[in-house]
Amino acid sequence: MDYGRRVAIVGAGKTAFGAFADQDLRSLAVAAGRKALANARMEPGAIEAFYLGNFAGPEFTAQNHLAPWISTSLGMAGIPSTRFEAACASSGAAFSQAFMGVASGIYDAVLVVGVEKMTCQPTARVTEILAGAGDGDTEVRVGSTFPSLFAMIARRHMHDFGTTREHLASVAVKNHENGALNPDAQMRKVITLEQAMNARPIAEPLNLYDCSLISDGAAAVVLCAADRARDFSDKPVQVKGVSQASDFVALDRKKDITTFPALRTAAQKAYEMAGVTAKDIEFAELHDCFTIAEIVAMEDLGFVERGRGGFFSLEGGTRREGAMPINASGGLKSKGHPVGATGVGQLCDIIQQLRCEAGDRQLKRHSLGLAQNLGGSGATCVVTILGRD
Amino acid sequence: MRTGAVYTETVVHLAPTKFAADVPYQVAIVDLDDGERLTARIAGERVAIGDPVIETESHEAIPFFQKS
Repeated sequence: MDYGRRVAIVGAGKTAFGAFADQDLRSLAVAAGRKALANARMEPGAIEAFYLGNFAGPEFTAQNHLAPWISTSLGMAGIPSTRFEAACASSGAAFSQAFMGVASGIYDAVLVVGVEKMTCQPTARVTEILAGAGDGDTEVRVGSTFPSLFAMIARRHMHDFGTTREHLASVAVKNHENGALNPDAQMRKVITLEQAMNARPIAEPLNLYDCSLISDGAAAVVLCAADRARDFSDKPVQVKGVSQASDFVALDRKKDITTFPALRTAAQKAYEMAGVTAKDIEFAELHDCFTIAEIVAMEDLGFVERGRGGFFSLEGGTRREGAMPINASGGLKSKGHPVGATGVGQLCDIIQQLRCEAGDRQLKRHSLGLAQNLGGSGATCVVTILGRD
Repeated sequence: MRTGAVYTETVVHLAPTKFAADVPYQVAIVDLDDGERLTARIAGERVAIGDPVIETESHEAIPFFQKS
Protein backbone atom coordinates (compact mmCIF):
# COMPACT_ATOMS: atom_id res chain seq x y z
CA MET A 1 0.00 0.00 0.00
CA ASP A 2 1.20 3.52 -0.83
CA TYR A 3 1.09 5.82 2.18
CA GLY A 4 2.23 8.89 0.24
CA ARG A 5 5.24 11.06 1.11
CA ARG A 6 7.13 10.44 4.30
CA VAL A 7 6.29 12.94 7.02
CA ALA A 8 8.39 14.26 9.90
CA ILE A 9 7.67 16.24 13.05
CA VAL A 10 10.09 19.16 13.27
CA GLY A 11 8.64 21.10 16.17
CA ALA A 12 6.86 20.25 19.40
CA GLY A 13 5.73 22.34 22.32
CA LYS A 14 3.16 22.33 25.07
CA THR A 15 2.01 24.33 28.04
CA ALA A 16 2.11 22.85 31.51
CA PHE A 17 -1.14 21.00 32.31
CA GLY A 18 -3.05 22.20 35.36
CA ALA A 19 -5.65 24.69 36.59
CA PHE A 20 -4.77 28.13 35.25
CA ALA A 21 -7.29 30.80 36.24
CA ASP A 22 -5.37 33.48 34.30
CA GLN A 23 -5.29 31.57 30.98
CA ASP A 24 -8.17 31.19 28.55
CA LEU A 25 -8.57 28.63 25.76
CA ARG A 26 -6.99 30.87 23.13
CA SER A 27 -3.99 31.97 25.18
CA LEU A 28 -3.19 28.33 25.99
CA ALA A 29 -3.46 27.27 22.33
CA VAL A 30 -1.38 30.23 21.15
CA ALA A 31 1.32 29.56 23.75
CA ALA A 32 1.68 25.91 22.66
CA GLY A 33 1.56 26.83 18.96
CA ARG A 34 4.32 29.44 19.38
CA LYS A 35 6.50 26.96 21.28
CA ALA A 36 6.17 24.36 18.52
CA LEU A 37 6.96 26.94 15.82
CA ALA A 38 10.00 28.18 17.75
CA ASN A 39 11.12 24.58 18.23
CA ALA A 40 10.91 24.16 14.43
CA ARG A 41 12.70 27.49 13.85
CA MET A 42 9.73 28.32 11.63
CA GLU A 43 7.84 31.58 11.02
CA PRO A 44 4.02 31.46 11.13
CA GLY A 45 4.00 32.38 7.43
CA ALA A 46 5.56 29.04 6.51
CA ILE A 47 2.53 27.11 7.80
CA GLU A 48 0.06 26.18 5.06
CA ALA A 49 -2.80 24.66 7.08
CA PHE A 50 -3.96 24.71 10.71
CA TYR A 51 -5.55 21.68 12.41
CA LEU A 52 -7.15 22.13 15.83
CA GLY A 53 -8.11 19.31 18.17
CA ASN A 54 -10.68 20.41 20.74
CA PHE A 55 -13.50 18.47 22.37
CA ALA A 56 -15.87 20.93 23.97
CA GLY A 57 -14.58 24.50 23.78
CA PRO A 58 -18.06 25.88 23.02
CA GLU A 59 -19.57 24.09 26.06
CA PHE A 60 -16.73 24.99 28.43
CA THR A 61 -16.14 28.58 27.28
CA ALA A 62 -19.11 29.63 25.06
CA GLN A 63 -16.71 30.44 22.20
CA ASN A 64 -17.18 28.64 18.89
CA HIS A 65 -15.46 28.85 15.47
CA LEU A 66 -12.28 28.09 17.35
CA ALA A 67 -9.79 27.18 14.63
CA PRO A 68 -9.58 30.55 12.81
CA TRP A 69 -9.96 32.31 16.20
CA ILE A 70 -6.68 30.69 17.19
CA SER A 71 -4.80 30.53 13.87
CA THR A 72 -5.26 34.25 13.25
CA SER A 73 -3.95 34.93 16.75
CA LEU A 74 -0.86 32.97 15.73
CA GLY A 75 -0.37 35.24 12.70
CA MET A 76 -1.71 32.75 10.18
CA ALA A 77 -4.69 34.58 8.65
CA GLY A 78 -5.59 33.18 5.25
CA ILE A 79 -4.76 29.50 5.61
CA PRO A 80 -7.39 26.75 6.00
CA SER A 81 -8.11 26.38 9.72
CA THR A 82 -10.35 23.58 10.95
CA ARG A 83 -11.40 22.13 14.30
CA PHE A 84 -11.63 18.36 14.75
CA GLU A 85 -13.83 16.87 17.47
CA ALA A 86 -13.54 13.22 18.47
CA ALA A 87 -14.09 13.41 22.24
CA CYS A 88 -10.82 12.75 24.10
CA ALA A 89 -9.19 11.71 20.81
CA SER A 90 -9.83 15.12 19.21
CA SER A 91 -6.20 16.10 18.73
CA GLY A 92 -5.21 12.56 17.75
CA ALA A 93 -7.81 12.87 14.99
CA ALA A 94 -6.54 16.34 14.03
CA PHE A 95 -2.99 15.00 13.86
CA SER A 96 -4.08 12.08 11.69
CA GLN A 97 -5.71 14.51 9.20
CA ALA A 98 -2.69 16.83 9.28
CA PHE A 99 -0.45 13.86 8.49
CA MET A 100 -2.56 13.12 5.41
CA GLY A 101 -2.35 16.74 4.30
CA VAL A 102 1.44 16.51 4.15
CA ALA A 103 1.70 12.86 3.02
CA SER A 104 -0.62 13.62 0.09
CA GLY A 105 1.71 16.37 -1.14
CA ILE A 106 -0.90 19.12 -0.79
CA TYR A 107 0.98 20.87 2.04
CA ASP A 108 4.68 21.00 2.92
CA ALA A 109 4.24 22.32 6.46
CA VAL A 110 1.25 22.30 8.81
CA LEU A 111 0.57 23.06 12.48
CA VAL A 112 -1.56 20.89 14.78
CA VAL A 113 -2.71 22.24 18.13
CA GLY A 114 -4.76 20.43 20.75
CA VAL A 115 -6.37 22.46 23.53
CA GLU A 116 -8.96 22.26 26.30
CA LYS A 117 -9.95 24.77 28.97
CA MET A 118 -11.95 22.85 31.61
CA THR A 119 -11.40 24.31 35.05
CA CYS A 120 -13.65 27.31 34.37
CA GLN A 121 -16.66 25.05 35.14
CA PRO A 122 -17.66 23.34 38.42
CA THR A 123 -17.06 19.55 38.62
CA ALA A 124 -20.74 18.57 38.21
CA ARG A 125 -20.94 20.62 35.00
CA VAL A 126 -17.61 19.17 33.75
CA THR A 127 -19.02 15.67 34.36
CA GLU A 128 -22.10 16.64 32.35
CA ILE A 129 -20.07 18.04 29.44
CA LEU A 130 -17.82 14.97 29.36
CA ALA A 131 -20.90 12.72 29.40
CA GLY A 132 -21.74 14.32 26.05
CA ALA A 133 -19.14 11.99 24.54
CA GLY A 134 -21.43 9.07 25.42
CA ASP A 135 -24.72 8.08 23.76
CA GLY A 136 -27.33 10.56 24.95
CA ASP A 137 -30.27 8.37 23.91
CA THR A 138 -29.28 5.27 25.85
CA GLU A 139 -26.53 5.57 28.45
CA VAL A 140 -26.40 9.25 29.44
CA ARG A 141 -30.18 9.51 29.95
CA VAL A 142 -30.12 6.89 32.72
CA GLY A 143 -27.34 8.66 34.63
CA SER A 144 -24.19 7.08 33.18
CA THR A 145 -21.11 9.22 33.60
CA PHE A 146 -17.71 8.62 31.99
CA PRO A 147 -16.25 7.12 35.15
CA SER A 148 -19.31 4.82 35.31
CA LEU A 149 -18.76 3.53 31.75
CA PHE A 150 -15.14 2.65 32.50
CA ALA A 151 -16.22 1.27 35.89
CA MET A 152 -18.51 -1.16 34.06
CA ILE A 153 -15.59 -2.12 31.78
CA ALA A 154 -13.47 -2.70 34.89
CA ARG A 155 -16.16 -4.81 36.59
CA ARG A 156 -16.46 -7.08 33.58
CA HIS A 157 -12.66 -7.28 33.09
CA MET A 158 -12.32 -8.31 36.75
CA HIS A 159 -15.06 -10.92 36.31
CA ASP A 160 -13.65 -12.39 33.07
CA PHE A 161 -9.89 -12.28 33.74
CA GLY A 162 -9.35 -12.06 37.50
CA THR A 163 -8.14 -8.47 37.37
CA THR A 164 -8.12 -7.04 40.92
CA ARG A 165 -8.48 -3.71 42.71
CA GLU A 166 -4.78 -3.98 43.45
CA HIS A 167 -4.00 -4.27 39.72
CA LEU A 168 -5.95 -1.07 39.01
CA ALA A 169 -4.21 0.74 41.87
CA SER A 170 -0.78 -0.30 40.57
CA VAL A 171 -1.44 1.69 37.37
CA ALA A 172 -2.17 4.84 39.39
CA VAL A 173 0.84 4.37 41.68
CA LYS A 174 3.22 3.93 38.72
CA ASN A 175 1.81 6.92 36.81
CA HIS A 176 2.06 9.17 39.87
CA GLU A 177 5.63 7.99 40.42
CA ASN A 178 6.49 9.09 36.87
CA GLY A 179 4.46 12.29 37.00
CA ALA A 180 6.23 13.37 40.18
CA LEU A 181 9.38 13.71 38.03
CA ASN A 182 7.63 15.68 35.28
CA PRO A 183 7.91 19.47 35.76
CA ASP A 184 4.88 20.00 33.47
CA ALA A 185 2.60 17.55 35.30
CA GLN A 186 -0.49 18.74 37.14
CA MET A 187 -0.25 16.42 40.14
CA ARG A 188 3.39 15.83 41.07
CA LYS A 189 2.67 13.57 44.00
CA VAL A 190 3.84 10.05 44.79
CA ILE A 191 1.04 7.86 46.18
CA THR A 192 1.07 4.47 47.91
CA LEU A 193 -0.83 1.35 46.86
CA GLU A 194 -2.93 1.67 50.04
CA GLN A 195 -3.88 5.27 49.21
CA ALA A 196 -4.76 4.26 45.66
CA MET A 197 -6.92 1.38 46.87
CA ASN A 198 -8.77 3.21 49.62
CA ALA A 199 -9.65 6.59 48.13
CA ARG A 200 -13.28 7.73 47.99
CA PRO A 201 -15.42 5.93 45.39
CA ILE A 202 -16.37 7.74 42.15
CA ALA A 203 -18.07 4.87 40.29
CA GLU A 204 -17.43 1.47 41.88
CA PRO A 205 -14.99 -0.23 41.53
CA LEU A 206 -13.20 2.98 40.45
CA ASN A 207 -12.19 5.55 43.05
CA LEU A 208 -10.62 9.00 42.93
CA TYR A 209 -7.14 7.66 42.10
CA ASP A 210 -8.43 5.60 39.16
CA CYS A 211 -9.62 8.76 37.41
CA SER A 212 -7.60 11.26 35.39
CA LEU A 213 -7.72 14.94 36.23
CA ILE A 214 -9.75 17.96 35.15
CA SER A 215 -7.21 20.18 33.42
CA ASP A 216 -6.37 23.17 31.27
CA GLY A 217 -3.63 22.86 28.72
CA ALA A 218 -2.48 22.82 25.11
CA ALA A 219 0.05 20.97 22.98
CA ALA A 220 1.29 21.48 19.43
CA VAL A 221 3.41 19.88 16.73
CA VAL A 222 4.69 21.07 13.35
CA LEU A 223 4.65 18.49 10.55
CA CYS A 224 6.59 18.77 7.32
CA ALA A 225 7.67 16.66 4.37
CA ALA A 226 10.47 14.40 5.62
CA ASP A 227 12.88 15.45 2.88
CA ARG A 228 12.77 19.02 4.19
CA ALA A 229 12.94 18.13 7.89
CA ARG A 230 16.63 18.93 8.35
CA ASP A 231 15.97 22.54 7.23
CA PHE A 232 13.95 23.02 10.42
CA SER A 233 15.28 20.67 13.07
CA ASP A 234 18.49 18.94 14.12
CA LYS A 235 16.33 16.28 15.77
CA PRO A 236 13.44 15.57 13.43
CA VAL A 237 11.13 12.71 14.34
CA GLN A 238 9.67 10.36 11.74
CA VAL A 239 5.97 9.58 11.68
CA LYS A 240 6.30 5.85 11.01
CA GLY A 241 2.64 4.99 11.24
CA VAL A 242 -0.66 6.60 12.13
CA SER A 243 -4.15 5.16 11.97
CA GLN A 244 -7.60 6.08 13.23
CA ALA A 245 -10.60 3.77 13.67
CA SER A 246 -14.11 3.97 15.11
CA ASP A 247 -16.73 1.91 16.92
CA PHE A 248 -20.17 2.33 18.52
CA VAL A 249 -20.48 5.32 20.86
CA ALA A 250 -22.75 3.41 23.28
CA LEU A 251 -20.99 0.84 25.42
CA ASP A 252 -24.08 -1.39 25.39
CA ARG A 253 -23.84 -1.81 21.62
CA LYS A 254 -20.54 -3.65 21.99
CA LYS A 255 -20.54 -7.42 22.26
CA ASP A 256 -17.51 -7.55 24.55
CA ILE A 257 -16.68 -4.42 26.55
CA THR A 258 -13.33 -5.72 27.86
CA THR A 259 -11.61 -4.85 24.56
CA PHE A 260 -11.62 -1.80 22.25
CA PRO A 261 -12.06 -3.06 18.66
CA ALA A 262 -11.24 0.41 17.25
CA LEU A 263 -7.94 0.33 19.12
CA ARG A 264 -7.13 -3.11 17.73
CA THR A 265 -7.93 -1.99 14.18
CA ALA A 266 -5.96 1.26 14.47
CA ALA A 267 -2.99 -0.56 16.03
CA GLN A 268 -2.91 -3.24 13.37
CA LYS A 269 -2.91 -0.64 10.60
CA ALA A 270 -0.31 1.57 12.29
CA TYR A 271 1.99 -1.43 12.83
CA GLU A 272 1.54 -2.43 9.19
CA MET A 273 2.31 1.08 7.97
CA ALA A 274 5.42 1.31 10.15
CA GLY A 275 6.51 -2.21 9.17
CA VAL A 276 6.82 -3.24 12.83
CA THR A 277 5.06 -5.46 15.37
CA ALA A 278 4.14 -4.87 19.01
CA LYS A 279 7.44 -6.47 20.03
CA ASP A 280 9.43 -3.72 18.27
CA ILE A 281 7.81 -0.90 20.28
CA GLU A 282 10.18 0.22 23.04
CA PHE A 283 7.90 2.50 25.07
CA ALA A 284 4.40 3.92 24.90
CA GLU A 285 2.09 6.69 26.04
CA LEU A 286 -1.33 5.12 26.56
CA HIS A 287 -4.67 6.82 27.15
CA ASP A 288 -5.15 6.18 30.88
CA CYS A 289 -8.26 8.31 31.32
CA PHE A 290 -9.04 5.63 33.92
CA THR A 291 -6.65 2.97 35.24
CA ILE A 292 -8.64 0.18 33.55
CA ALA A 293 -8.18 1.91 30.17
CA GLU A 294 -4.39 1.53 30.39
CA ILE A 295 -4.80 -2.17 31.21
CA VAL A 296 -7.16 -2.82 28.28
CA ALA A 297 -4.99 -0.75 25.91
CA MET A 298 -1.80 -2.68 26.63
CA GLU A 299 -3.72 -5.87 25.88
CA ASP A 300 -5.31 -4.58 22.67
CA LEU A 301 -1.94 -3.28 21.45
CA GLY A 302 -0.47 -6.77 21.89
CA PHE A 303 2.06 -5.75 24.57
CA VAL A 304 0.64 -8.51 26.80
CA GLU A 305 -1.82 -11.36 26.34
CA ARG A 306 -5.50 -10.66 26.81
CA GLY A 307 -6.45 -10.48 30.47
CA ARG A 308 -2.85 -10.15 31.65
CA GLY A 309 -2.57 -6.35 31.70
CA GLY A 310 -3.35 -5.96 35.39
CA PHE A 311 -0.95 -8.73 36.41
CA PHE A 312 1.82 -7.24 34.22
CA SER A 313 1.25 -3.82 35.76
CA LEU A 314 1.39 -5.06 39.38
CA GLU A 315 4.57 -7.00 38.59
CA GLY A 316 6.21 -3.72 37.51
CA GLY A 317 6.39 -4.50 33.77
CA THR A 318 5.17 -1.02 32.81
CA ARG A 319 7.48 0.98 35.10
CA ARG A 320 10.32 3.02 33.59
CA GLU A 321 12.76 0.16 34.13
CA GLY A 322 10.20 -2.53 33.16
CA ALA A 323 9.98 -4.58 29.97
CA MET A 324 7.48 -2.12 28.41
CA PRO A 325 7.59 1.35 29.98
CA ILE A 326 4.13 2.93 29.77
CA ASN A 327 3.33 6.57 30.49
CA ALA A 328 6.79 7.64 31.61
CA SER A 329 5.29 11.15 31.42
CA GLY A 330 2.89 10.38 34.28
CA GLY A 331 0.01 9.72 31.90
CA LEU A 332 -3.35 11.43 31.95
CA LYS A 333 -3.60 10.34 35.58
CA SER A 334 -0.79 12.50 36.94
CA LYS A 335 0.22 14.75 34.04
CA GLY A 336 -3.36 15.94 33.56
CA HIS A 337 -6.04 15.42 30.91
CA PRO A 338 -7.12 18.59 29.10
CA VAL A 339 -9.09 16.31 26.79
CA GLY A 340 -8.60 18.08 23.45
CA ALA A 341 -4.87 18.51 24.12
CA THR A 342 -4.19 14.95 25.21
CA GLY A 343 -3.50 13.28 21.84
CA VAL A 344 -0.88 15.81 20.73
CA GLY A 345 0.39 16.02 24.31
CA GLN A 346 1.19 12.30 24.17
CA LEU A 347 3.12 12.87 20.93
CA CYS A 348 5.14 15.66 22.61
CA ASP A 349 6.01 13.20 25.41
CA ILE A 350 7.12 10.53 22.90
CA ILE A 351 9.17 13.13 21.01
CA GLN A 352 10.87 14.23 24.24
CA GLN A 353 11.98 10.62 24.84
CA LEU A 354 13.10 10.11 21.21
CA ARG A 355 15.17 13.29 21.41
CA CYS A 356 16.64 12.24 24.75
CA GLU A 357 15.23 15.35 26.46
CA ALA A 358 13.13 13.70 29.20
CA GLY A 359 15.48 14.44 32.09
CA ASP A 360 14.91 12.22 35.13
CA ARG A 361 12.29 10.25 33.22
CA GLN A 362 14.56 9.44 30.26
CA LEU A 363 14.19 5.80 29.24
CA LYS A 364 17.10 3.55 28.27
CA ARG A 365 15.51 2.36 25.04
CA HIS A 366 14.11 5.32 23.15
CA SER A 367 14.21 4.91 19.41
CA LEU A 368 10.65 3.73 18.67
CA GLY A 369 7.60 4.87 20.66
CA LEU A 370 3.83 4.49 20.33
CA ALA A 371 1.02 6.83 21.36
CA GLN A 372 -2.58 5.68 21.76
CA ASN A 373 -5.40 8.22 22.04
CA LEU A 374 -8.94 7.07 22.90
CA GLY A 375 -12.22 8.94 22.49
CA GLY A 376 -15.29 8.19 24.59
CA SER A 377 -15.53 4.61 25.80
CA GLY A 378 -13.69 3.48 22.66
CA ALA A 379 -15.67 4.98 19.76
CA THR A 380 -12.58 6.70 18.34
CA CYS A 381 -9.03 5.50 18.58
CA VAL A 382 -5.84 6.89 17.06
CA VAL A 383 -2.54 5.01 17.21
CA THR A 384 0.67 6.76 16.19
CA ILE A 385 4.17 5.29 15.94
CA LEU A 386 7.10 7.70 16.02
CA GLY A 387 10.76 6.96 15.52
CA ARG A 388 14.10 8.70 15.42
CA ASP A 389 15.35 9.89 12.05
CA MET B 1 -42.19 -6.67 31.91
CA ARG B 2 -38.79 -7.34 30.32
CA THR B 3 -36.40 -9.72 32.05
CA GLY B 4 -32.70 -10.47 31.71
CA ALA B 5 -29.37 -10.86 33.49
CA VAL B 6 -26.76 -8.33 34.58
CA TYR B 7 -23.81 -8.17 32.13
CA THR B 8 -21.94 -5.53 34.15
CA GLU B 9 -22.72 -2.86 36.74
CA THR B 10 -21.41 0.08 38.74
CA VAL B 11 -22.53 2.26 41.64
CA VAL B 12 -22.24 5.95 40.76
CA HIS B 13 -21.08 8.32 43.51
CA LEU B 14 -20.30 11.43 41.44
CA ALA B 15 -23.14 12.42 39.13
CA PRO B 16 -24.00 15.22 36.71
CA THR B 17 -26.18 18.00 38.16
CA LYS B 18 -29.38 16.36 36.90
CA PHE B 19 -28.80 13.17 38.91
CA ALA B 20 -26.84 14.63 41.84
CA ALA B 21 -29.75 14.09 44.26
CA ASP B 22 -29.87 10.35 43.45
CA VAL B 23 -26.31 9.33 44.46
CA PRO B 24 -25.26 6.70 45.19
CA TYR B 25 -27.22 4.86 42.46
CA GLN B 26 -26.57 1.69 40.51
CA VAL B 27 -26.35 1.52 36.71
CA ALA B 28 -26.14 -1.79 34.85
CA ILE B 29 -25.93 -3.13 31.34
CA VAL B 30 -28.60 -5.84 31.15
CA ASP B 31 -28.62 -8.75 28.70
CA LEU B 32 -32.33 -9.07 27.97
CA ASP B 33 -33.82 -12.49 27.37
CA ASP B 34 -34.73 -11.44 23.79
CA GLY B 35 -31.01 -11.00 23.00
CA GLU B 36 -30.96 -7.19 23.19
CA ARG B 37 -28.70 -5.31 25.56
CA LEU B 38 -29.78 -2.25 27.53
CA THR B 39 -28.28 0.31 29.94
CA ALA B 40 -30.63 0.73 32.91
CA ARG B 41 -30.89 1.93 36.49
CA ILE B 42 -31.23 -0.62 39.27
CA ALA B 43 -33.93 -0.15 41.91
CA GLY B 44 -33.73 -1.59 45.40
CA GLU B 45 -31.17 -4.22 46.33
CA ARG B 46 -27.72 -4.02 44.67
CA VAL B 47 -27.11 -6.52 41.87
CA ALA B 48 -23.93 -8.27 40.62
CA ILE B 49 -22.85 -9.74 37.28
CA GLY B 50 -25.06 -12.69 36.36
CA ASP B 51 -27.97 -11.76 38.63
CA PRO B 52 -31.43 -12.18 37.06
CA VAL B 53 -33.36 -8.91 36.87
CA ILE B 54 -36.87 -7.81 35.93
CA GLU B 55 -38.05 -4.42 34.71
CA THR B 56 -39.99 -2.29 37.17
CA GLU B 57 -41.74 1.00 36.47
CA SER B 58 -39.90 3.55 34.34
CA HIS B 59 -39.42 7.08 35.63
CA GLU B 60 -39.23 9.87 33.03
CA ALA B 61 -38.48 7.31 30.30
CA ILE B 62 -35.56 5.85 32.26
CA PRO B 63 -35.74 2.04 32.37
CA PHE B 64 -35.46 0.63 35.91
CA PHE B 65 -34.76 -3.03 36.73
CA GLN B 66 -34.61 -4.91 40.02
CA LYS B 67 -33.37 -8.26 41.21
CA SER B 68 -35.86 -11.03 40.39
